[in-house]
Amino acid sequence: MKRIILLCLLLLVTPQLMGASDQYLDVTAPANKKQQIYLAPATTLSGPALPEVARELAELFLFDLNLAGPFSVAPAEAGSAGSDLVLKTAYGSSGGNLTIECRLFDPVLNRDVAAKRYTGSLKDLRRMGHAFSDEVLRVRTGQKGPFTGKIAYVSKVSGNKEVFVMDYDGFNTQRVTNNGAINLNPDFAPSGREIIYTSYKKGNPDLYRRELYTGVEARISARSGLNAMGSFSPDGNRIAVVLSKDGNSEIYLISREGKELARLTRTQAIDVSPAWSPDGNRIAFVSDRLGKPQVFVMNADGSDVKRLTTNGAYNVTPRWSPKGDRIAYARKDGNGFQIYAINPDGTQDTQLTNLGSNEHPRWSPDGRFIVFSSSRDGGEAIYVMRADGSAQSKVSRGKARDSHPTWSAAW
Amino acid sequence: MTFTKSVLLGLAATALCAGCAKQEVVKHDQMIPTTPAATQPASTPKSAAPAPVAKAPAEERLPDTSIKEAQPTPAKAAELKNDQGTVQNLLEKVFFDFDSSALSTAARTSLAKNAEVLKKSNLKIRIEGNCDELGSDDYNLSLGESRAASALKYLKALGVPAERMSIISYGKEKPAVGGHDDAARAQNRRDEFVVVSK
Repeated sequence: MKRIILLCLLLLVTPQLMGASDQYLDVTAPANKKQQIYLAPATTLSGPALPEVARELAELFLFDLNLAGPFSVAPAEAGSAGSDLVLKTAYGSSGGNLTIECRLFDPVLNRDVAAKRYTGSLKDLRRMGHAFSDEVLRVRTGQKGPFTGKIAYVSKVSGNKEVFVMDYDGFNTQRVTNNGAINLNPDFAPSGREIIYTSYKKGNPDLYRRELYTGVEARISARSGLNAMGSFSPDGNRIAVVLSKDGNSEIYLISREGKELARLTRTQAIDVSPAWSPDGNRIAFVSDRLGKPQVFVMNADGSDVKRLTTNGAYNVTPRWSPKGDRIAYARKDGNGFQIYAINPDGTQDTQLTNLGSNEHPRWSPDGRFIVFSSSRDGGEAIYVMRADGSAQSKVSRGKARDSHPTWSAAW
Repeated sequence: MTFTKSVLLGLAATALCAGCAKQEVVKHDQMIPTTPAATQPASTPKSAAPAPVAKAPAEERLPDTSIKEAQPTPAKAAELKNDQGTVQNLLEKVFFDFDSSALSTAARTSLAKNAEVLKKSNLKIRIEGNCDELGSDDYNLSLGESRAASALKYLKALGVPAERMSIISYGKEKPAVGGHDDAARAQNRRDEFVVVSK
């Protein structure tokens, strides 16, 4: 498996940065005027001019930082007039190696508010760019961006459902499974480089845990019936999973190795789709115990079950935000689905999508974004949007048949 | 011991009779008011879906009858009853309403036929529960399993030994037909009965 590249991160203007206490933007206030960022034309540090590197970086920053929310990024051609910040990039190359220096310059303070140098190979260009986008968000809002995270998802491009991993913006697609069977529901370990997923490759829908770099894999739950919808606890030590070994679908906790720790639900009804609260104390899930599938919330030991969704006749696939303040889910609406978010106490039930059918919401690790699948463009594809439903953007590339995305922590 | 045994037998018998009785009622119900197609999607595929498939079984039944005519020994007949292909072709699919694993009268009729076929053989079957494209894929994994479990429970009540049956759900991952209309969806909300081995 491909070895992770080493990034040399170097603070170039440490004294000024250390001394300054930057004022953070209140990104939650929608009335806030967006900060205008001017993308200065890239310059060369050493070696030949590489126009394609300059262009790719510029496009990357445009996409990342416009999606981010607090910024409005103008390309170099637009000119720098009226901009609050200037993003300057310089690159140098020798052989297959690439060095990039990125600076975010504040004309009023007359200094760089962020400055980083990244070195790696040419193919690491996008990773370096995303790392600086994450840094821009950190210095302007106090919280790092999620753009170096990966998205694992299920794709039918090869006919059957296989698990893939890609950059959050759809680049660098890598195939994870290649077994020709049905593969479902990838979920990242909190550490990022490990997934669990369900596969029918040995006939029964069993749960597998796989290290993405080594490809080392273990079948951790092969109990009779379903072993599905596995979801890592926030500390990564437990997995909430749907097993049907005892007659019908119930939610259980198992260890990373698959040992049964607890049974959380006991009903004649369907209980599926467990989703942890970020503190690990509560679990949202779907049950049809009252007739139709609705979202419920319970303690992580199965006690104190409360119905969460009361609007709509068919609500599924809840996912708790990393901040704990919202639960995203999908509601069946006619022949399709729409994504909603609701407070954990059942208030502020808000519709976030309305184009085509939209399903499988998952939060970015910083809680700023929701990744989901949508059929608005014909075939099913992966999209991202801000947590308030704005800036819905397709990230699947080419002819996609992609669903069930999940966004990892920083890679 | 013997008491419990006879009670159990009694219960089993009642269960069987209940099954038979229902089957009778079902037949009357269906013959008289066939028209109340209030349950249109569920009843249409019942007769429509097996129709195209029926061509294949028809071809295979010919040699069966000719063999029977030539050699109607009980041994041969028993062999045929345990022939995977023959039994497979006799097993009917059953269909469900949206977001339901309840057995309709049509489904019970098909299951009763399947039970008769299975009781004459000693083959094992896998009951495969499936869903249409409309539901959520996660939820449908469980719904498909409930559908398979419904059929297993009913076949067991009709006397098919539980140890000869297993269930699996494919959720909405294995549609029988690819269309996106109501008729296609009705055909995809189904249990299939697959002969796996002796």
